[in-house]
Amino acid sequence: MKKKTNIKGIVILIAVIVVIIAGVLVINHLCDNRFLTVSNWLLIVAGAAVPTFTAWGLSFLFAASVTDFSIGAIVILGGTMAGTLGNIMGIPGVIIGGLSVGIALTLINFLIFNITKIPSWIAGMGMTLIYECAGVVYSNTRLAHGKQVVQLENQYRALGMSPWIYVVLVIGVVIAYILYNKTSIGVNIRAVGNNRHVAKQMGIPIVKTLILCGVIAGFFFGCSCFLNESYAGRSIAASGLTSISSIFQSLAAVLLAQVMQKKINIVFAIPIATILITAIFNAQTQLGVQSGTWQQVVLGAIVIIFGVIAQRGTKGVVK
Amino acid sequence: MANSEYILDIRKLNKSFGPTHANVNIDFQLKAGEVRGLAGENGSGKSTLLSQIAGMYGYDSGEMILKGEPYKPSSPVDANNHKIAIVVQELGMISNLPAGVNIFLGKTKKCTKFGLINNGLIKKEAAQLAERWNMPKIDLNIPAGYMNIEHRKMVELYRALSADPDILILDEVTQSLSQDNRKFLYGLIEQFKAEGRSVILISHDIEEMIDITDTISILRDGELLETVNSSEITSDDLKQKMVGRKIEGDYYRSDNAPDYHDEVLLKVQDVDTEAGLENISFELHKGEILGFCGLSDSGIHDIGKLAYGLEKLKKGRVHLATADIDIKNQEDALSHRVGYAPKDRDTDALMMDATIWDNFTLPSLQEVKGPVAKLSTAKMNKIAEDAVVEYQVKCTSSQQTMRELSGGNKQKVNLGRWMLKDLDVLIVDCPTRGVDVGVKAYLYGCLRAAKANNLGILMITDELAEAIGMCDNIIVMKDNRIVKEIERGPEFKEEIIIEVMI
Repeated sequence: MKKKTNIKGIVILIAVIVVIIAGVLVINHLCDNRFLTVSNWLLIVAGAAVPTFTAWGLSFLFAASVTDFSIGAIVILGGTMAGTLGNIMGIPGVIIGGLSVGIALTLINFLIFNITKIPSWIAGMGMTLIYECAGVVYSNTRLAHGKQVVQLENQYRALGMSPWIYVVLVIGVVIAYILYNKTSIGVNIRAVGNNRHVAKQMGIPIVKTLILCGVIAGFFFGCSCFLNESYAGRSIAASGLTSISSIFQSLAAVLLAQVMQKKINIVFAIPIATILITAIFNAQTQLGVQSGTWQQVVLGAIVIIFGVIAQRGTKGVVK
Repeated sequence: MANSEYILDIRKLNKSFGPTHANVNIDFQLKAGEVRGLAGENGSGKSTLLSQIAGMYGYDSGEMILKGEPYKPSSPVDANNHKIAIVVQELGMISNLPAGVNIFLGKTKKCTKFGLINNGLIKKEAAQLAERWNMPKIDLNIPAGYMNIEHRKMVELYRALSADPDILILDEVTQSLSQDNRKFLYGLIEQFKAEGRSVILISHDIEEMIDITDTISILRDGELLETVNSSEITSDDLKQKMVGRKIEGDYYRSDNAPDYHDEVLLKVQDVDTEAGLENISFELHKGEILGFCGLSDSGIHDIGKLAYGLEKLKKGRVHLATADIDIKNQEDALSHRVGYAPKDRDTDALMMDATIWDNFTLPSLQEVKGPVAKLSTAKMNKIAEDAVVEYQVKCTSSQQTMRELSGGNKQKVNLGRWMLKDLDVLIVDCPTRGVDVGVKAYLYGCLRAAKANNLGILMITDELAEAIGMCDNIIVMKDNRIVKEIERGPEFKEEIIIEVMI
């Protein structure tokens, strides 16, 4: 079959690239040429590391058709554990603390989804409240005993700093790519999420696949836990479902990555998306846009815009 | 005691779904190298029997002996391990995964290197399958959801053959295939037979079943009535045995000339579409059945979408003369008395996890709207309950979910929900796909009655006999273009149409 040259598509692509370059140059000019510097971009990439790992975890959840809003609370609790164990055992404690909580709590969630058959987003809401409460109780208990909320000592924060944060990010890309694209469990998760009836008929063990999905997603959330603790030094307990907002940047990144995945594998598209979003925040901060208000408005707009674009790209059967 | 003459020996098999006794004391013996057909009305228990052999359902009582050993497969993969594979009636593919991965899904370890899935190995394994069985080549990198129904069926066939089956089960596969791929399938069955392997197949094309099988088992109401030699039974006798009564009247029209009004209902003019249709022009008249025939990639299935406003036009117009509007989207069509029953009923037509009630009432919501847009539950109940009776849908109640129905009963809902409306134009794409002879005769009767009531019908079909038997005019397509229009008369012959198609 002859392939027709898509001149319209090429023109649109060139136009988009030109607009992006022009936009970046304008922003750089408005930021007194501080935006397009190597040091600023290293800062942006480091800032994108935590949401990238969270987004990789979310991509596995979404691939399995699971929606779980308790991830933010899990990352906070895992960060607290990483800080606690890190101060006792050093960097191994940071890693063990983050991974163990990330994997254990995500696994618990998946067991609850599977055993109770409650829709995951509803059960996830309930678990959010429980995990948030656990974090608040732990913090209050420490305060009641005259201790401060867990603060990871500086000598154990290497994983959140250059160069290790970039090394961890690269290792994460490799692991995520292999798990998502090159292993039976990655394929099985996508099959179960796409059509559970057919997947079952094809001999895929549904429950086992979902449980393993919980473990894999939990691994990436666990990485977010110890990276966040290492990067920020402490995790602040949240309550009243406010932890949900902490995954919005990652959610926006996954949606953007879903738009891009027609051209780029979603595992690579996610860090591109998180870096892009972090860069937008970085530019806004340099331009003096108030954080917590207008920056959040921009994030909300990004989530909606990319969500709409992702849906528009969805087509069932085409020839 | 099992008889070693048989590769598969089934004794007193029973299977129930709630109060429905789907298989009753089934005795079924299959020899090596035998091609066996299963005939029966929709809901007679054919698919249930095959599903148990293929490990998709367990059985309640009885026994299965495979090559002299007790056989009770726990899953389709277990059946594969026993060299039994099935191509199911409804589509069994994961739409977001590439075709190649779909072929080996559930057994991906076969295509791994150092524990990682290797695309090269997938392609190599698939190429070996293609060579081994002379399979048509397909692009393995395309996600299954982006393939048309026929290509997806071929991927399922690849998948079944990857188990190197001694028994291949084909549940209404030919219904999804066009003439060229049907010919390939017939060749494959011959090859199976020559190698001493067995095939069990269901096809509602009775003539086809008689032609390609050695023996036919007839099921009715869950019981296996008898097994006959295909060479010793006529299609009329088989139909009668299947339904338990003589099929009255002619299947198809007996007249030999077109018979419709001059008034044009739908006019398609010089249309090119983004999907690839080129220079399409035709008119549908009041009381006309206009058929579209062609090979799988000829574009015939896009004609239905085009007429219903589902295709984006690059040029030309689709004009609905009855309302004097151009159809630009499906809302234009639906709100101006145009109905459309697509070929791929599971994906494009029916809400599989909703109830029969929901599916029957959905296209009629405009008609049951009351003051302030309130829907009348009483009217909706009447529509759904009447339709279940009218179209003889075999179900526990109208509240049963679509997914639980047999293929033929799904098709009754797919078509019936449009037939009960007061339409000017009805577009039907493979209207009798997966429908048994009894219902087929009934649906043809309905279409003829609708024609007599001046409904204009666009009939897209892969079955030439159906087109010849029902249409006033047939448009033949090739490479997304119209290549010939044939009027009902002396030229209405399969040979003439095939010559133009290929």
